[in-house]
Amino acid sequence: MDPIFVVIIIVVVLIVFPLLWYIGVMNSLRQMEVKINEAESGIDVALTKRFDVLTKIVNTVKGYAKHEAETFENVTKWRAGLPKTLSLQEKQEFMGKMDAVQSGINIAVEAYPELKAEKLFSNLQASISDVEEHLQAARRLYNSNVSRINTVIVTFPRSIVAGMIHMEKKEFFEADTSKREDVEISF
Amino acid sequence: MNDELIRFQQEKKSIEKQVIIGSALSLLSVILFIALINYGPWGLILLVPGVIYMALGASKFKKLSNKFKHEVLAEVITKFVDEGVFEPSRGLSLNTVYATEFLKRADRYHVEDYLSGKIDGVDFVSSDVKLEERHVEHTKNGTRTYYVAYFLGRIFEFEFNKKFDGYLQVLEGARPHSKRKYKKVKLESIDFNKKFKTYTTNEHSAFYVLTPHLMESLMAFEKNNKGKIYFSFIDTKLYLGINNFKDTFELKMFRELNESSFEEFKRELYVIKDVVTELKLNNNIFKKE
Repeated sequence: MDPIFVVIIIVVVLIVFPLLWYIGVMNSLRQMEVKINEAESGIDVALTKRFDVLTKIVNTVKGYAKHEAETFENVTKWRAGLPKTLSLQEKQEFMGKMDAVQSGINIAVEAYPELKAEKLFSNLQASISDVEEHLQAARRLYNSNVSRINTVIVTFPRSIVAGMIHMEKKEFFEADTSKREDVEISF
Repeated sequence: MNDELIRFQQEKKSIEKQVIIGSALSLLSVILFIALINYGPWGLILLVPGVIYMALGASKFKKLSNKFKHEVLAEVITKFVDEGVFEPSRGLSLNTVYATEFLKRADRYHVEDYLSGKIDGVDFVSSDVKLEERHVEHTKNGTRTYYVAYFLGRIFEFEFNKKFDGYLQVLEGARPHSKRKYKKVKLESIDFNKKFKTYTTNEHSAFYVLTPHLMESLMAFEKNNKGKIYFSFIDTKLYLGINNFKDTFELKMFRELNESSFEEFKRELYVIKDVVTELKLNNNIFKKE
């Protein structure tokens, strides 16, 4: 065999193939990262929707439960909407706070049965259930993407590429139950 | 009901006897033909009456099966299903069959046992569907064309209670047959991903529709029903395909018709009830006005 041909084969095996593999893994990691960002913006949309519906519910409940109005100030202080610069941790806290307000509303409903009968309120409750389902879906999609990228990041030999491009394991989005205690609901 | 079943069982038995006699005559004729081959084709003399007798029996059996559907099953169905309509001689339109987007176009098809109505306020339509593909084989002796069934079972169309963007399919060992840009998506449950392949045009919608509870329900449904199971969520419809190579609501020849075999017919109806309750299709809280 021609020695030049042998050299070309060696170069291909030792340089070109690993380079192509490296580019392939790097691209797939980047694509997964984009997917995570997309999923995170899905969480933002769902959080904002939930916030909007929750605010409407709070306003309706206020009419029935004037004493509880103060408690719901926890919601009104976010009236400006979800800030765009929130970190994932802050979003989790935000979700936890909304969970707490939601529990407070549920207790208020038990205390005022006539509230259940109000059409506007029952419509809003149906909306919040739907919005919460969307939020759960966005959270699960995000976590599923995180799980996929984290698997690649920790699995050899793709972990080498992840290390070379300084890609670190991503954080899961979980409802931080401890933060719910930040909102005091007392009826 | 018992007396009616006994009446049908007696009639069925006499038809089966006719089919057995016809078959026996045909078989005897063939044996005689072989034994008396040196004396000419006289052995075949019994073949024609044997085959005719057998064919008449088969035709009578088909009529009896239809009569059973109209007189017995229709009554059971109307008791079980609100606004129930059971029409054994017709089925779903091909448009509805292909609207499922999990079945490829057939070269030959047959539909029957149309059933529609409401269960727990949920509208549904269904029918038996048989789809066949044409195969052409070139041999030394010429070309042979034959048909192979790739779907034989029931197709259901239910009203679905969640509105969402995009399209979703959950299929057992199959892929979508549509021009839409379906993408495979993996959900959190390893068992679910092993059992079903999920295809969607919108990932968020897949997670929105397939809640952990619904995934468990689909798995439980798959476990309780033989054959391949296909679900597709398209617009406001849930399509369900059960490809079990079974002709539903048919009387079986040489199989006794009694209370226990009659229960099997009822079980076909419980499948519909199962879908509605297990998949919570009767829960309308997510449906926007």
